[in-house]
Amino acid sequence: MVQETRGELYLSFAGIWQRPRREIADHLEEIIELWSEEIEIPPETVAVLSAFCQRYPAGEERLNALWAEYIPLFETGAVEAPPYASVYLDKGRQVLGAETRAVQAFYASTGYGMGNDKQELSDHLAVELEFLALLARDGEETSGETFRQKHLLPFLQAILPRIKGSRRPVYAQAAEILDNWQLKSYERG
Amino acid sequence: MKRRDFLKGALYGTGGTMIALGGFGTLTKLDPKKAAAAEQDALSTVFSTCEMCTSRCTVALKVKNGKVVKAEGHPNDTSTGGSICARGNAAPSLLYDPERIKKPMIRTGERGDGKFKEVSWDEAYSYITEKLKNVQKQYGGEALAVTSRVNPNDIFFRSLARAMGSPNMFSHEATCPMTRTVALEATFGNPYIGADYGNAKYIITNGRNFFEGIHVPMVKGVMKSISNGGKLVVLDPRFSVTAAKGEWVPIKGATDLAFIMAMANVMISENLYDKEFIAQYSVGFDKWVEAVKDKTPAWAEQETGIPKDKIVQITRDFAKAKPNCLLEYGWRTPWTGNDYQLRRAIMIVNMMMGNWEVPGGYFRKKGAALLKPYPELQQYAKSLGGGMVQPAFPKPVKGRIDGTGVKGTPGQVIPVPDGAVGQIPESILTGKPYPIKAWMVYRFNPVISMPESERVIEAIKKLDLMVTCDVYMTDAAYYSDVVLPECTYMERYDPMIDNTGLTPKFQIRQPAVSVVYPDTKPAWQIFKELGEKMGYGQYFPFKDMEEYLTKQLAAAGLTLAEMKEKGFWVPPGMKPFFMRGKDPKAPAPTATADQKIQIFSEELEEATKQGIPEYKHYPQPENGKFRFIQGKVAVHTNAGTHNVPVLNELMPTNTLWINSVSAGKLGIKEGDSIIISAGKYEHKGIAKVTEGIRPDSVFTYHGFGRISPKMTRAYGKGINDNKLIPNELGEIGNVVSSTTFVTVRKA
Ligand code: SF4
Repeated sequence: MVQETRGELYLSFAGIWQRPRREIADHLEEIIELWSEEIEIPPETVAVLSAFCQRYPAGEERLNALWAEYIPLFETGAVEAPPYASVYLDKGRQVLGAETRAVQAFYASTGYGMGNDKQELSDHLAVELEFLALLARDGEETSGETFRQKHLLPFLQAILPRIKGSRRPVYAQAAEILDNWQLKSYERG
Repeated sequence: MKRRDFLKGALYGTGGTMIALGGFGTLTKLDPKKAAAAEQDALSTVFSTCEMCTSRCTVALKVKNGKVVKAEGHPNDTSTGGSICARGNAAPSLLYDPERIKKPMIRTGERGDGKFKEVSWDEAYSYITEKLKNVQKQYGGEALAVTSRVNPNDIFFRSLARAMGSPNMFSHEATCPMTRTVALEATFGNPYIGADYGNAKYIITNGRNFFEGIHVPMVKGVMKSISNGGKLVVLDPRFSVTAAKGEWVPIKGATDLAFIMAMANVMISENLYDKEFIAQYSVGFDKWVEAVKDKTPAWAEQETGIPKDKIVQITRDFAKAKPNCLLEYGWRTPWTGNDYQLRRAIMIVNMMMGNWEVPGGYFRKKGAALLKPYPELQQYAKSLGGGMVQPAFPKPVKGRIDGTGVKGTPGQVIPVPDGAVGQIPESILTGKPYPIKAWMVYRFNPVISMPESERVIEAIKKLDLMVTCDVYMTDAAYYSDVVLPECTYMERYDPMIDNTGLTPKFQIRQPAVSVVYPDTKPAWQIFKELGEKMGYGQYFPFKDMEEYLTKQLAAAGLTLAEMKEKGFWVPPGMKPFFMRGKDPKAPAPTATADQKIQIFSEELEEATKQGIPEYKHYPQPENGKFRFIQGKVAVHTNAGTHNVPVLNELMPTNTLWINSVSAGKLGIKEGDSIIISAGKYEHKGIAKVTEGIRPDSVFTYHGFGRISPKMTRAYGKGINDNKLIPNELGEIGNVVSSTTFVTVRKA
């Protein structure tokens, strides 16, 4: 897979796991198309996502439909799959654990840190993927692969089964696709 | 935009220009020096004030690598002895809980569907502003009610209601100690009365459960008394942890006033009380003599189920310890409709012991105003100032919905800062005396803290606007239109905390770490920003909390830097001060107009026609029914902590305590699934079969059986006591917790 495509893929997933916002929601079709072209995925998975896009055309309604999935899945209360690595990889199922710190240190070692508005914790799934997108863009292949092996994959192994097992169609399918790419067929890709 | 251009554009910049950062801008290029500094973060200590309950213990938060790793007691605070309770210890577990609310949210589905979207703060403020302005236009500003758990940010929260012209500001107190407050105000002129447990030689408590309803300094005091050989007698239908530390007297529920009146009767007939004290310091004792003359131990035995000889013996022994003896005035007190008279009678019997302003007795909290007249104490008489000067608020057009403040009615004695919160659902549902259309709650969860949860939910569903500000998606938040995420106490400043007791004492609450979830905010900031959005910026004339605190402290000649470093301030060198500590005849004025203890209260006479406590007989449960009582548990705070990870782990659910003989008759065994029925409402639960409760009563710990599915750990676990208790308002607007009868059957 060419470096540019890898960067786009990482960024597409970063966009998906971020809190829903119009910019991403309105480009869902484009993201699905990218995934269909670059990752091996069963047609029924794509069909679920396309059906969602048809049912909720780009706009406010689609955004609210994503919120309805996102909040119980990642954000408040039930939190079926907390999106923070340290919840899975450290003892105690809490945020801001040793893993958060390790991830931050890794970002720093490559010259990156969290933005000034600090709108997210550094080990949020979307942030880790965005970081990999930037490394791919920068051509930092070795660092990217080290981060992937050390931090991303253990996190994905823990969180993706939960998202896939949820009853949230968009995110469950996106998790399936990320799983296919990162955990099942990355080598081939 | 063409296919994939969006992602490419984000990553590489559009139009062929490479942008410096790219991506979605979450990450930034780092200053390498800052990164290195952050790496070397040693263990540090930040002193603050705990907020895991309202007892406000001083704490030392241990911070390593930008993370609170432990909460400990403040090592220099003699009142706590440097310890904190399990809930205080659990603070970091709340701080780093992934289930906290992280962003402002607006409801997108029906109320109770649990569907929300996250929005920016500005959107949330705009939404609330628009709704409130509509309510104001259509129904008047008074159609907004605000309710909070008493806390230092109330001044900002309430400013929103005041600015809108609403008089309807409430605390949670009518569901907790308000009857005691009314009794203290009527008897002493204000409620700022403390008890010196540590030096007491005999303590009697009616249901007050020190070791489960924990207030660390008080627990330490009672422990000191016991270890010095003091006697502890616990009147409670249930064998509580406190009962286990003393003598358990299993009194019939709702009859405590009979026991207290009989004590007075014995003291008078046997000349056991301090006549000189009563003559010098009180008014109206003759009316009390009259009121208790037929309240003999034999009569009280019929009412309370306690043998008359036992009543006499306890009274004699208690009186022997005078004046270093305490008849405890209670904590969560709204047991019956006239509970305030029980609290009055308790304080009158205390005063008969002359235990006023002496070690081991009751005392006025020693703020600057009290110390000033004493030349040797003037140097310690410091008080905090205001952090801001607000312009005058508009005068509300209508009176309050609960009648608070209306002379010649019970409303006259309802404390103005508290009000009768139980009236809110009534006004929403019945429109009387006029409808409430918008309700804002801050750190208050009416669905669990007020009786008749389903009726509260029904009321919320009728509102035009419901707003909750909290740290979790509480049961109230779940039914709200807007949810505002407050950060925890470890991440923020609050206004100064005045914890004055026998000496002045000021405490700081300051951030130990920066906010964990970046879009949560301190309450003062939330209400200030919302006020500004509503066009009420003039009522929030301060820049930030540091500026506010600096002003508050300047009035006491203290600095913020000093408070931050030390955590709390007590006048160096000052000893606990009792007005009668050295001379039993010394002046010991109360805050009433005549400075005397009001055994007969003119004010209560005017308000409720009961200037002297009168006994009211409440029915006892008939055969097959049980009195339903509730209480606190040591590892949880009311309705506040049941979803905090480690506290939930310690106690995730509750049970229904039922006497083994009663359970046997019903074929119920330990651990059985049961149905508790209060007639209109039923609740499932698990039975705890025990000899530690009267056969006519059942008991459960409060705060369980949560309704919000978004508090996963606490959701649906255990019994929600307030589902079963009807929303009855007591004589002075208190809720009524202990006159509900239930039946129990196997599920
Ligand atoms: S009693 Fe416990 S929870 Fe309450 S303030 Fe003190 S330490 Fe904190």
